Parts: sequence; C-alpha cells; structure tokens
Amino acid sequence: MALNAKTISQDEFFFGHKACAGCGGSLAVRAALKVLGPYAVAALPAGCMSAVGFNFPQLSFANNAMITPFAATAAVLSGIEAGLRVQGKKPDDCTVVGFAGDGGTADIGLQALSGAIDRNDDVLYICYDNEAYMNTGIQKSSLTPFGASTTTTPAGANVHGCLTQKKSLFEIVAAHGIPYAATASVGYLSDFVRKVERARDIRGTRYIHVIAPCPTGWGCPVDSMVDVARDIVDCGLWYLAEYEGPSVSGLPRGRFTLSRNPKTFTSVADYLHSQGRFKALSDEEIAQIEAARDETWTYLREHWA
Amino acid sequence: MIEVLWHGRGGQGAFTAARLLGAAASLAEGTYALAFPSFGPERRGAPMRAFTKIDAAPIGDRSAVEQADYVVYLDETLLVPGWEKELKPGGVVLVNSTRDASSFRDGRIMPIDADGISSAVLGRPIPNTVFLGALCVLDNALTRENVEEAIRGYMPAKLHAKNVAIVAAAVEAATAALQASQASGSGTAAGDAAAADAAPGTAAAVGAASAEVAAPSAGAASGLAPDVARRLVQPGPRPDVRIPALCDEALDPAVFARTTCFRAGHLVAKNAGWRNLRPVIDRDACTMCLQCEFHCPDGAIYRASDGAGQAVAIDLDFCKGCGVCAKVCRFGAIDMVSEQAAASALASLAALDEKEACVR
Repeated sequence: MALNAKTISQDEFFFGHKACAGCGGSLAVRAALKVLGPYAVAALPAGCMSAVGFNFPQLSFANNAMITPFAATAAVLSGIEAGLRVQGKKPDDCTVVGFAGDGGTADIGLQALSGAIDRNDDVLYICYDNEAYMNTGIQKSSLTPFGASTTTTPAGANVHGCLTQKKSLFEIVAAHGIPYAATASVGYLSDFVRKVERARDIRGTRYIHVIAPCPTGWGCPVDSMVDVARDIVDCGLWYLAEYEGPSVSGLPRGRFTLSRNPKTFTSVADYLHSQGRFKALSDEEIAQIEAARDETWTYLREHWA
Repeated sequence: MIEVLWHGRGGQGAFTAARLLGAAASLAEGTYALAFPSFGPERRGAPMRAFTKIDAAPIGDRSAVEQADYVVYLDETLLVPGWEKELKPGGVVLVNSTRDASSFRDGRIMPIDADGISSAVLGRPIPNTVFLGALCVLDNALTRENVEEAIRGYMPAKLHAKNVAIVAAAVEAATAALQASQASGSGTAAGDAAAADAAPGTAAAVGAASAEVAAPSAGAASGLAPDVARRLVQPGPRPDVRIPALCDEALDPAVFARTTCFRAGHLVAKNAGWRNLRPVIDRDACTMCLQCEFHCPDGAIYRASDGAGQAVAIDLDFCKGCGVCAKVCRFGAIDMVSEQAAASALASLAALDEKEACVR
C-alpha cells in the first residue's frame, strides 16, 4: 500500500532534535526515516542535521546513526554497507542511508558520491537542499540559486545576490547511469515519501534530492516553510522528476519522467518576494529568472514528459 | 565589578545588547568591560545567555557569570522558578513583560514592556536595546550619552536613530516604573539599587515567599475565548510507539553504550521552552486527515484517543511552536495561541474545576 499521512509509521526516528522551529531539513529526515524503518543505518556529514541531532548526551536518532567527515558521506555509506554485508548482519530491511546538505553533496562530497555510484554500492543518498551552507551561517554553495543573498554573496547596490546558477545535481547524478534518482520537495511530502519508498526497494545506488526550505536562511516566516516548498514547485523553479537507470528501466540511457507537469505556473515574482534573501532583485533580474525557467521547462516537456 | 546576565532566545539580540552595554560602560574614564555569549549547537529560538562584566580594572576572569547584579530576561517565558539563585543580594531582575510589577509578588523583579516599546519605534518587537535604557536609569555607572555613543559606534548606521529613540522611550518607562515602585514601597530592591544604597530592604525580599513567575494568577484574563481555552486540555498520552524517550536519570555510559539500535535515542532536555505560541486543536473542525502530523518537523503531533474517540494531540514537551501545522490544516482546525494566554487560561480552568468540585 502506498504510504501517505494516514498509513505512514507513527514511530518517530528523528525526534527531540535542536533544529530551528519550522526546519525543512528536519522534516525531510523525519519523513524518510519513517519510511525506512528502525533497521535503517544513517550517516550524516557535518551540517545542520548532524549538529542538531547529536548533542551529547542527547541522541535524537532512534536508528543507528553516525557522523561522517564532511567530504565522506557516500564513502562512509559504502563502508557501512560492506561491513554489515561481510559480517552477515545486514537484514533485507536494512537501508544504509545518508543525509547530507547541498554543500556536503554538491560541493564537498561530490567525488565520494560519484565514486559510490560508479561502484553501484547498495546505498541510498538523500540530499536535503536548503540552497546554502546554513549550519555555518548561510554561505553560498553551488546549489544556491541566482539572486539569493547569502553572507558570502551579500546583496549590495550593484550586485543583488548570488551571481551563479544552481547546479543541476540531479542530472549530474543521472549521467552516471545510477539505478534510481529523483527530485522532491518537502512541500509535496507524499511525493517525497513515495520516492523514498520506491528507492528503498531498489538495489544499487539511489539518490534523492529534496528541497528543504530554511526559514532562517531564506528569510521567510517559520510557519510558511511547507508553503514555500510548495511554491517553488508551483512556480516552476524546481521540478519533481525521476530517473530510472538502465538496470531499472531496461533502456541503455535510462529514462527521465516528470512527476508533475503543471499546465500553468504560479508567479515567480511572488515566490521570490516571499523571501528576504531575494528582496534586492530588480524586475529585470526577476524576468531573467522567469525566462530561464521557461527555457528549462521547454526542454523538460520535450524530453521528460 | 558589575555583572549582567542576559537571558534571551537565539535571534533576539541578547549578545548585541550585552556587547553594546559593555561598549557603553567602557566609554567612561578608567572603566573596563567584557561581553560574551554562551550557547550550544541549538538553533534560532533556543534559550541562550550572554554576559557583560564591567569593572574599574582590566577583567581577567572570562568565565560565565553565576550571580549577577542585573539579570535581564528578553523573553518572559525564560523566567522560571529558581531565578533568584542567579541574583546577587541587592540585585535586580529586568523582564520583558506587559504584566504589572505587583503581579510578580517580588520587589526584585521589574517588568518592562520591551516588546511594546520597540514595536512602537521599529514596527516589530526587538526588545534588546530597551534594556540598555532601563539599565541607564538603574545604574549610575551607565549614562544615556554613552549608550547612545555605543549604538552609533557598533550598530549599522540605518539603525542609529531608531535605537536611540528606543533608549529614550525606555529611560522614560524605567524612570516611571522606578518612581511607582518607590512610591508604593514594594519595589525596595530596585529602588535601592538605583540609589546605589546598601539595600536594607533586600534581606526581607530574599526571605520572602517565592515570587509568582511561571504561572500568572488564575484570575488573570487570558484573552482566550472559553471554547478555545477548553481545547487546551490534551486528549491523551502518546500511544506506545518507538520514539526517542526523555530520560531523567543520570547518564550511565555503560548503559548508553549498549542501547544501540532503535532504543538508542536518548533525550535529556525538552524543547518546550523554545515556544512562544502553541497549537490548539478544534476537534469539531478536525477531520483527522493527519496532514499536521505528517508535516510537523519535530514529530510533536500524535494520535491519541479518549472517551470522545480518536483525536490529534500535541506533544507539548517537544513542540517548538513553529506553526507549520496550523498552515497546512485545510480545515482551520488549528489555532496558534500565545503561551502566556494558554498558561493563564489553564490556570483559570483548574480553578474553575476546583470550585465545581467543592460545590459538589
């Protein structure tokens, strides 16, 4: 049976943590662990979720969980999986899962992730993307979108925020021919939960990239975290998609599918204006962001729909 | 040495105030100051402390202040029983509160409506610099001119005028509060501290019955509608699920090492103190769609059952009051209610129930 709000486990495996009120990342970890169950083994690099989950003597994970070096999430996942398997201690319902932020995935941990996919190790890697290094105080990562003000790309009179574009990590991962990859958003939590469930039941390396707003870093009200995560999808600046690699789809180059293909988009300007980090953007820049969105969707609809 | 202990929440500006206070004090000839914060890995909204030390000689002791001349609470919910242990004899507690001084029943506590004063100038409550104005009134070591100069020296230029205005309003409010307490004769400690006296009245105050800090009196009006107040009562405990449990015994490393695999969760602290608002569920409007439980970042919503059937309940030990549940509820069944209003409404409910029991 498909998991939803009513059928998902009532057990809490990530609980009592010290994340900010209204934290999107903690919602992603909590929901994923409910799908994976008590035998999942989690590994987290330096980042918000490890900082708020492990405060000795407090431990907010009911699963086995450990902290990895910043660059080594995927390598540690490979090691845990191999270790459990060699010792004969890996039951079928044990998922080895990593939770890393956008910086720990797209910048610092990218080579380890690429290596794990290359070896096709049987691990699930979940990137909770809050679009900057939030744990250390909001510095730009390579997944920070154009126009976002961070402490290292501050909005000033001439430059209004981040000058680079958000890297398409989902496509980079898919280009490895990984068995399964998906994008999601905590604003469409049922879709995320469904993808975690699907990934749980596939063998080989799996990757899920979930948008997880950070009210502190994004400059939005704490209670609107889920709404903002929904808006980013509805306005077309983030897409929900899946990639099934050759081993799953049977196609030599794999298959991309859009999980959601909205006929019309909500306003990009409204989405950007709902957050403090975009407040310096000019109308021209907003039009530029909108044009880039349209170009992306023309491609997506042509090739993935 | 004058020591000031600041209690605030991450994001409220307690450290900024501590630093500005030190900067202001050090502008006086031959005065030295030190300011530093103390917080763990917790996040925005979590309780934190900051310290200011002021002395006539360079300060070598960089440890946290255990007992202070002034203890400032930027958030009233942080003022909990045991507060007096942090106060030196003759010390004064300043608390951000709209309550009347007499409702605290302890002359050492001086409430200031810092949220109101700062909102009037800034349009939103940022209470920290209000207390700089209040401290000018209470302590001769600090002058308003020096506080204003510190603001100009350490805050961004666009904030200067507004914060100077806040300090002016705070000086006025604190002067009025002080005069009122001296007139009534109840606020002995605050009055004495201001006069830099030997504080003859404090011994009595120290021995007095503990002040009423955590729960406002039962008679206080909560401002909540009676039907909303009724909903504050939780339908039942969490069902037996696997969840990291709150452990109150001291940590035994041997036990800790053996409790791996889904009993590993080990919690020693509640997150309840982070909250200024609490969700209150209207069972009549609730359809049990469970979207609130599904979307709670803290897993603080659970299904409970009581005589009236199944219901959604809030784990108030771990709810941080973010309000995501109220926003995702499509049926408008969740209201966010201020903690203070909830506490006083619950107290009046308890009093009412007691009265009914007596009648019966």
